[in-house]
Amino acid sequence: MSGEKKVIQRLIRQALKLGADQAEAWLERGRNGSVRVRDGEVEELTESTAKGVGLRVFVRGRLGFAYGSDFGNAALDALAGRAVALAEASAKHRHHGLPPAEELRGHARVKGLFDKDIAALAPDWKLKTALEVEKAGRAYDPRVSNFRSVGAGESVHEVHLATSEGFTGSYEGTYAFLFAVPVASENGELQTSYWSDSKRFLADLDSPEAIGREAARRAARMLGARKVPSQKVPVIFDPLMAASFVNAIAGAANGESIERGASIFVGRQGERLAGEHVTIVDDGLLERGLGSAPFDGEGVPTRRSPILSQGVLEGFLYDSFTARKARTRSTGNAARGYSSLPSIGTHNLYLEPGTESPESLIAGVKNGFYVTSMLGQGADLVTGDYSRGANGLWIEDGELGHPVQEVTVAGNLLQMLRDVDAVGSDLQFRGGTGAPTLRFRELTVAGS
Amino acid sequence: MVPPAVSIARRRTPPAPPIALPARPAPLLDPRQIERLLSAAMSRGAEFAEVFAEHAVNTAVVLNDQRIESAQSGLVQGVGIRVIDGAKVGYAYSDDLDEPALMRAAQTAALIAHGKGSEAAIRVSRAPVPSHYQVPIPLMDVALTDKAKLLRRADREARAFDARIKVVQASWADHTRRILVANSTGHLVEDTQNLCRINVSVVAESAKGERRRGFFGGGGRVPFSHFDTFTPEHVAREAARQAIATMGAVEAHAGPQTVVLAPGWSGILLHEAVGHGLEADFIRKGTSLFAGKLNQKVASDLVTVIDDGTVAGGRGAINVDDEGQPGERKVLIEKGELKGYMFDSLNAKLMGQRSTGSGRRQSFRHLPMPRMTNTFLAPGDDTPEDILKGVKRGLYCAMFGGGQVDITNGNFVFEVSEAYQIENGRLGRPVKGAVLIGVGPTALANVSAVGCDPMPDPGMGTCGKDGQSVPVGVGLPTLRIDDVTVGGTRVGGGA
Repeated sequence: MSGEKKVIQRLIRQALKLGADQAEAWLERGRNGSVRVRDGEVEELTESTAKGVGLRVFVRGRLGFAYGSDFGNAALDALAGRAVALAEASAKHRHHGLPPAEELRGHARVKGLFDKDIAALAPDWKLKTALEVEKAGRAYDPRVSNFRSVGAGESVHEVHLATSEGFTGSYEGTYAFLFAVPVASENGELQTSYWSDSKRFLADLDSPEAIGREAARRAARMLGARKVPSQKVPVIFDPLMAASFVNAIAGAANGESIERGASIFVGRQGERLAGEHVTIVDDGLLERGLGSAPFDGEGVPTRRSPILSQGVLEGFLYDSFTARKARTRSTGNAARGYSSLPSIGTHNLYLEPGTESPESLIAGVKNGFYVTSMLGQGADLVTGDYSRGANGLWIEDGELGHPVQEVTVAGNLLQMLRDVDAVGSDLQFRGGTGAPTLRFRELTVAGS
Repeated sequence: MVPPAVSIARRRTPPAPPIALPARPAPLLDPRQIERLLSAAMSRGAEFAEVFAEHAVNTAVVLNDQRIESAQSGLVQGVGIRVIDGAKVGYAYSDDLDEPALMRAAQTAALIAHGKGSEAAIRVSRAPVPSHYQVPIPLMDVALTDKAKLLRRADREARAFDARIKVVQASWADHTRRILVANSTGHLVEDTQNLCRINVSVVAESAKGERRRGFFGGGGRVPFSHFDTFTPEHVAREAARQAIATMGAVEAHAGPQTVVLAPGWSGILLHEAVGHGLEADFIRKGTSLFAGKLNQKVASDLVTVIDDGTVAGGRGAINVDDEGQPGERKVLIEKGELKGYMFDSLNAKLMGQRSTGSGRRQSFRHLPMPRMTNTFLAPGDDTPEDILKGVKRGLYCAMFGGGQVDITNGNFVFEVSEAYQIENGRLGRPVKGAVLIGVGPTALANVSAVGCDPMPDPGMGTCGKDGQSVPVGVGLPTLRIDDVTVGGTRVGGGA
């Protein structure tokens, strides 16, 4: 038995001995490296090995949770003691408990979690790559000579889970990332932007040149940004901003918010909320997906969970606790790290692409706003009110025009869903959420 | 006035804080071991090395559906070793505390330097630490049942406030964090930082199905007895009040308006719109729009901004920062003139300045960087009543949700979770969906009245920067700002 398995088995055994009815241990171990560069030289180089284990116990329907990173026997036994003692102080809840054994079966094989090329990266890969990102960014535009940060990094990690209900599972994963935050300047004005990529396989990662160039292009084109008068106009979100909109929709489909009555989606399951061209899915099985995994934070098999299917609100996302409250079954959406209890999250969340190019979406707007970055959390999931600070480019006669800043875009999530009048073909993932360019028939732009 | 010769102006010399000399627990690391690690970290000829050890016990309790849903506790411990050579930083950390693991970390961090090390042995000796917070019973030692009791009291009070309160969630979190910082100059300090917070959030629903939210919370580096006076009932009533008071809110009118900010928590506007842009890393790199503006006018004459790590019991108070430097009170903007920035030791060194005790980090897994502590705007001369009376038409912002800033172009946004129309100097109907947006220096220049009222910081702020979260305090007296863009959904047709 591996060292990790011994650790989690000891915790479970000890918890049961101390009076727990059920116990579950989640262990992570990994090594991470990251670098930041500045002016052609290394600025920060960080290397680490990290590990930790979290123990969830149920004692007569009461929940206790404790975590730590000391894997010595005495520390593990103390951790189990803490978890059981914490459960004693909690209230009984009839929906508490681990997922039953029958829900822990039927795991699909998920392809593409671990890349041996990332695991075998040379120690200087990060530095070389980050320097190339910086160089490409500078070369793109003379007005981009400074960066807030430029960096690269990699992670190789493993997860082990075991429960007293008989589940044991583990998987290994990798990812590598590149990012650039350039500053463009001209006549005393400063503008910044951000571009990055993060992938499980080195071969899927955008080139350092592409990251540097795109970051610089996005910063430089914001120079000369100004306010526009308040008005209601068609608004286009670029894929990055569309992904943040998709995240807000997934937040409203969070089973816990639904159970609390704290979502605009309450009581709307099965209703048409958008046109047939709008399909939003969370897929835990996506090959080489950053958020893919064979099982979720409770051992439940991950799956493909549609939220909106061709515009119809199809389903919500659940972990096992909220599923029991809602008299349904977990959708395998329990997200967690070793230091946190499972809570509902997404794996690879995306909006399915359409057939029109982004250029054609823009060409269809006479007077409107193309949004490329936003500030603030934005969406109130209880009321659906959506209001965020926005930067981007003004659309004039179907073409991108002058840069815009210091305005807000506002609407209501339900109305925004109805107003999605075109979906681009350019789906891309920059992290765990993906989206194509998205056009809304009308949003309120508030400015001068 | 004559600008001072140094960049960091202090309005007055703060009184020397008492030096804490209680019996302390065994050090987190043995001083001899620290010396060995520092020697290894310096072995390739770096100019500076530092050992940061942390031991933190975190407890959290959550109440939902009128009962304690979960209780959890975690132990976080580890050591981070930082090596500096010029502007280059090598960092390695480990949660294994045995000597071979720590020695590997020291050797890994050392790789940032390429020279030949000095053979000189390093001797560390403990420096005294000021005491800005007294928590005689560490929060980790307070019985869990007492923490759970606070939440049940809050739940009862919120539900009793109004029948329309349908959902109440309450949570408690406390941290007892011990840190040790030692570096190659021989400086060694230890500090114990207790921190706690209670939060209550509610959803109210009217007969017509309108849903409104309310949120309030607070705490600080305070003993558990703090909640005898800052009661859970008070927190619950405030959360419930917001949800009920905003029933029937009308859509925000989009466009420029005069806004009046309520005192206290609205200080997050200052934190975002100004504070971040005065952090020395952004200044050194020339990525903040406040870079190069020292001694220049950046705000209205009425504006004096202070960052103070020495506020007794404050959520952002620090006896020492995470580089072992004492927390300080710093005047950043005085009567509209930019007087200084917030420095950690690396940026201070590279800029020929001194650390202002602003080097903070989330944990041993993170590098320190310049951060705020408790940031507030000094009170002015106007009464809050007079400020309101002077506004014919505008928006009163009573409670804020989150905020965010782009420190490069200065754009900021704030979500106003509780707002009212101002009509002829009086509060009118509640307004929903309002967002304030602006550019930091422009908003500061447009400050036209500053209240003389107290600015209670309930103690619920957590600031995120580059993926690191640290607790902060905020504060603002009643404030009038002209010509602020309000984002909303209603356009045209008059207010």
